[in-house]
Amino acid sequence: MRVGIVCPYSFDVPGGVQYHVRDLAEHLLGLGHHACVLAPADDETPLPDYVESVGRAVPVRYNGSVARLSFGPVTAARVGRWLERGEFDVLHLHEPVTPSIALLALWSAEGPVVATFHTSNLRSRAMQAAYPLLRPSLEKINGRIAVSEDARRTVTTHLGGDAVVIPNGVNVARFEDAPPAERWRGTRDAPTIAFLGRIDEPRKGLPVLAAAMPAVLAEHPGARILVAGPGDIEAARERLDPAVAAATEFLGMVSDDEKAALLSSVDVYVAPHTGGESFGIVLVEAMSAGAPVVASDLPAFVRVLDGGRCGAMFANEQAADLAHQLNTLLSSPAERRRLSAAGSRRARVFDWSVVAEDVIAVYDTVTHGLNSASDSTSLDTSGLRPGQAGQPGETRWTRLLRGRRTGQY
Amino acid sequence: MDTLTWVVVVVAVMLGIAWYLSYSAARLDRLHTRVEGSLSALDAQLVRRAEATLELANSGAVDPASALILAGAASESLEAHNERALEDDLLEGQRFGAREDLESGLTSALQAALTPEVVAQIRQADGLPTAALRRVEAAAVRVQLARRFHNDAVTDVQRVRRKRVVWWFRLAGHADLPHTVEFDDDLPPALRE
Repeated sequence: MRVGIVCPYSFDVPGGVQYHVRDLAEHLLGLGHHACVLAPADDETPLPDYVESVGRAVPVRYNGSVARLSFGPVTAARVGRWLERGEFDVLHLHEPVTPSIALLALWSAEGPVVATFHTSNLRSRAMQAAYPLLRPSLEKINGRIAVSEDARRTVTTHLGGDAVVIPNGVNVARFEDAPPAERWRGTRDAPTIAFLGRIDEPRKGLPVLAAAMPAVLAEHPGARILVAGPGDIEAARERLDPAVAAATEFLGMVSDDEKAALLSSVDVYVAPHTGGESFGIVLVEAMSAGAPVVASDLPAFVRVLDGGRCGAMFANEQAADLAHQLNTLLSSPAERRRLSAAGSRRARVFDWSVVAEDVIAVYDTVTHGLNSASDSTSLDTSGLRPGQAGQPGETRWTRLLRGRRTGQY
Repeated sequence: MDTLTWVVVVVAVMLGIAWYLSYSAARLDRLHTRVEGSLSALDAQLVRRAEATLELANSGAVDPASALILAGAASESLEAHNERALEDDLLEGQRFGAREDLESGLTSALQAALTPEVVAQIRQADGLPTAALRRVEAAAVRVQLARRFHNDAVTDVQRVRRKRVVWWFRLAGHADLPHTVEFDDDLPPALRE
């Protein structure tokens, strides 16, 4: 099957959606399908050969955080050309309501479209205002996927209709087999706590962890925090209490291998996110690596941790509760071992081998609809391979002038 | 304003209205095509599910009583499909040919027959029954997907058909208003372990 995948966020900086797209593409390729990814990226950013750059992304404030997006007429034309060149059996868009290339691809899409919704905070003023304009495009989506129950609820309430839930995938083996690194391994007197995420993004919760640390250091004076993630390190260090700053090591942006090694080495992984998380893939990664997890009780996290059976939870934004949970875990190696074992078992549910199978089932369903529809109802599309752009030499404008009737599904 | 300007304005407005009507008609046409496609996908997955169930029933992996229940429900579903196979328009009748009850019946037959013990037993022994069970599972998952995608498409059509412009100008032509397909398509819990 030829699958075209569109990622709206730039590949210059790592992020959940980007990883999801990359892993999905690699799994499809591994299963013998043809997969091709279109995403914004700088010229200097090294890209895998299945990723094509649509050009530079611009940092834009949208939906409560700064995202690197790509848009405009030149980009739209590039997306259109990529679609016509690709001759995809199915087009898989991610975050189609983000004002970036996924929306542009949907606009010019002609064949079966699958869309994955990652976010659980979809509603923005911009979207409400532009809704009538987006509607006809959104109607082209044949199959909607949500990565979590929260994301699905957002789709149902704001877009109407329904979506199937297929969780994010993780390459469990990559984290399970990662060799621990001595420099990050904790000892009895100096246990290590890992934090992952943008350090200047308050929603990722570094301030909550920083507020909890004095109480943790009081009981475990040797404890070290390892903070991995992009952002301004000096500014972040200045915001910390001096004692906490002394116990904190900023690792900056880490590679995938380093991340896996970090999670395999530390005594506890903390996810103090305060909101805006619809899934929590990093929790699954930590569980795969065998790190005991302490997470805020966001609904998405509660679900990933199977109601708290596979990780410790604390009341969201309550630093005192977080400190209490951390102290309990750091003092009890037996509890850490139990959570680590429970987490490893739980993580297998989210392995890509399971998830990719479900995604392919969605592709099968929407492409089947296409084939039989054109068999039984072909009016003026006879002789055309369904999903293709119509007669050669045709452009989007000629189709627009004809009212987009032929070659359509 | 002189007459020429008026003529230009009127022509421009007429062109605008004409474009909008043709655009709306094309949009509705696309939605109807999507509904037909999704319904025929659902139909195909239901056939696949029934065939896989028959195969499983005849594989000797389940006890004769369960096999009979499974085979009965599956063949009823297949018969209903075959009776309607000659009709060109799958949407005719609007009620999915009253097949909902039969498909719900097959779902509950599967749920009753495929208890956790039976599933574990089949999965342990390799061979024909395991393959049949896998096909039942794959088809049942796709039935769920197809039904959900179909109902999404139906919801979209119904919303656009409610628009006044569609009603006034009869943009939907003679196409029937599609309805959602509702039946129980839950997988036997044991299969989802």
